[in-house]
Amino acid sequence: MSVEVLRVSGLEVSFGGAPAVRGIDFTVGAGEIVAVVGESGSGKSVTARAILGLLPATASTGGSVRLDGRELLGADEESLRRVRGREIAMVFQEPSTALNPVHTVGRQLAAVLRAHRDLTREQARQEAVRLLDLVGIPDPATRVRFYPHQLSGGQKQRVVIALALANDPRLIIADEPTTALDVTVQAEILALLRDLRDRLGAAILLITHNMGVVADLADRVAVLHRGRLVEQAPVHDLFAAPTRAYTRELLAAVPRLGHRPPAPAHDTPTDALRLDGVVVRYRDFVAVDRVDLRVRQGEVVGLVGESGSGKSTIGKVAAGLLRPDAGTVTVLDGDPRDRAIRRAIGFVFQDPGGSLDPRLSIEDCVGEPLRVHRTATGTAYRRRVADLLDAVRLPTGYARRRPRELSGGQRQRVGIARALALDPRLIIADEPTSALDVSVQATVLALLTDLQRDLGFACLFISHDLAVVDTLAHRVAVLHRGTVVEEGPHHEVLRTPTQPYTRRLVDSVPIPDPTAQRTRHTHPREAVPVT
Amino acid sequence: MSRYLLRRAPSALLVLFLASVLIFLVIRAIPGDAAAVLAGPDAPPEVVAAIRHDLGLDRSLVGQYLHWLGGLLTGELGRSYLIGGDIAELVGDGLGNTVVLTLAALVIAVLVALLLGPLWAATRSRWVDRALTAFHTAAVALPTFVTGVVLIIVFGVVFRVLPTGGVPPDGMFDRLDITAQYLVLPAVCLGLPVAGVLTGFLAETLRGELRQDYVTTVRAAGVRRRDIVLGHALRGALPVAVTTLGLQAGALLGGAVLVESIFAWPGLGLLVEQGITRRDYPLVQVLLMLSVAVFVLVQLFTDVVHAWLDPRIRLGATS
Repeated sequence: MSVEVLRVSGLEVSFGGAPAVRGIDFTVGAGEIVAVVGESGSGKSVTARAILGLLPATASTGGSVRLDGRELLGADEESLRRVRGREIAMVFQEPSTALNPVHTVGRQLAAVLRAHRDLTREQARQEAVRLLDLVGIPDPATRVRFYPHQLSGGQKQRVVIALALANDPRLIIADEPTTALDVTVQAEILALLRDLRDRLGAAILLITHNMGVVADLADRVAVLHRGRLVEQAPVHDLFAAPTRAYTRELLAAVPRLGHRPPAPAHDTPTDALRLDGVVVRYRDFVAVDRVDLRVRQGEVVGLVGESGSGKSTIGKVAAGLLRPDAGTVTVLDGDPRDRAIRRAIGFVFQDPGGSLDPRLSIEDCVGEPLRVHRTATGTAYRRRVADLLDAVRLPTGYARRRPRELSGGQRQRVGIARALALDPRLIIADEPTSALDVSVQATVLALLTDLQRDLGFACLFISHDLAVVDTLAHRVAVLHRGTVVEEGPHHEVLRTPTQPYTRRLVDSVPIPDPTAQRTRHTHPREAVPVT
Repeated sequence: MSRYLLRRAPSALLVLFLASVLIFLVIRAIPGDAAAVLAGPDAPPEVVAAIRHDLGLDRSLVGQYLHWLGGLLTGELGRSYLIGGDIAELVGDGLGNTVVLTLAALVIAVLVALLLGPLWAATRSRWVDRALTAFHTAAVALPTFVTGVVLIIVFGVVFRVLPTGGVPPDGMFDRLDITAQYLVLPAVCLGLPVAGVLTGFLAETLRGELRQDYVTTVRAAGVRRRDIVLGHALRGALPVAVTTLGLQAGALLGGAVLVESIFAWPGLGLLVEQGITRRDYPLVQVLLMLSVAVFVLVQLFTDVVHAWLDPRIRLGATS
């Protein structure tokens, strides 16, 4: 292995006595890409911030973080400042908030450049243009005068990477650099990071929860679980032969494209949901353009698309929350805005924390539709709620708890139970698992699949994650800029796509298998065989 | 920007119109007959009637309102009942003095806030924090009639270094050093509460900005803390500060009434006070209308500045 840049040994971090990181050791060599993977609460982001001394004042740290033998942990603010950006730089998760909205990107780059180097304004501006060019922003001389809101999400993330590269650091810590991005943009950013490592020789410490990203980029992987390092191995070894049970579970939970046998076609003649020529405009912007979509009784239709494709708007139209500007919506042969029809629609939201009233008990959260529609009171009400909690496999004792006492996955189960309260014939689920960890996501998806089979409701499942859709949808519709570009049985659309856009989408999903993923890079146009 | 102004203009005009109706009606609702007061207790009814006709008070309410509104629009503000003279002249004399005083107070408030706000938000010293908390509380809580009297006792009576009342004898622009001496006490007295509120808001907004992700981004890139606070966070906090400042303009207008009578500063505030105590209703009407108009204009102005400071509004969101 090459020269060692960073050595973390026995690192411990705790917040007010609650340990977040409990003694971990790893190293990063020059030009090496090391991935630290783990689920939320595993301590991976805390580790990243501890290295640069960016933890809040309430954190206490122990152990050692050495850069070329110099101790960084507990160093004074000025010596840390000299390290930040010049020797170790950081790329953050959310490009929309990581940039100052009221400064041009050029000004932000110049501020970072001039923090470490003696440059005139003009020199800094020229250097900013060069950096924007380096990270692949077209027409950098013009874009340098843009404000962040004038750039797309992917371009913003490129600017964040340019900020990190500004002072030629030897190590870049990338904290979930692609989590907030669409798959096609994610693929571009990952390619950029790989390219930068090859061209500039910077080492990368990649913090992520996405095994596909790890397989795509990393040389070595360290698996974190509850603040401890569970396993550390070269990427091929880890994926081929994980030695620890936790690593195996984590890998097994990752949804993959094409791992489910084709679902039988639904030939029921009756439709649960039918959209005919639906158009939705927001002022001049056409969000949904003449969309026809059918969900048959008892069928699960996956609606996939990138951000801004109009998929959530269609969900709102189907639920009767939004009136289309043109076209018709029919739910169970009626109008979704009709109260009687609306009773038969259940809605599962993306953010389980935000969609439950924090002041209500779990029982009242789940039972709210029963109260609103006055279908059950007294003991019948309580029995129904208990049945629902049982159906989503939550202990009956949880009925008295408040939403904040539950984990994210448990809260989403509550959200599903609430959607099921009135025995709906149609469920609309808008990104129900995208806020969850992979292992939790796997259990919630399994639960949804079982419930659908047992109760036989129809479901419009909206997601940006193709692999998730492939695990439970019967049919898939691909949405691009407000129109359905391809539609058909899940195994056909997601495995042998006919439309160029769908093919690009499918090709962009990183495969959680380093060998297959890297074959893709060397033979880009040959579609990777997915069985 | 001009489109933005045009969009805001109708609501501003509506506010002005409603305020004029309200002011007119409230003044008319005050009990007592101005003509009877003017004529004196022993005047015969014919004289009172003649005076009433003279003042136009025998016309219908709507007629009186329209006459007054027409006067406002053409600059014919009418005559004062009791102080005597043309209202336009009285207002014109006072306006200059009040503008000088409120602008001086505004400058003091803004300078104090720009100095202390960032210091308060960024300080790590407990003592600085405590001292600034104490300043903020005192500045916001102490009414101007207390600080005014304290200032007069300290600088005018005990130390005898500054004049405690009146305006420079040879006009505001004759000798600026003398003007400054006359101006400093009333301006500080008027500006202090505004400075307190503004400092508090600016510090709180800055603390919010310093918690933003973009601050972590530049911090992780090695930008100095001072530059982060002054170069990045302060710029983000400015729009909120400008809006707060606009709202505080009302406090300045109201405060001017008290401060001008404490320091015998012959401005509009003193005129308002005289108009109200002597029931010189046409004068009060015009002054109320003027303060509403100033407030509406300031709001319009701060909205425009706010929009201009925020590129997301100025250039429109594309994504």
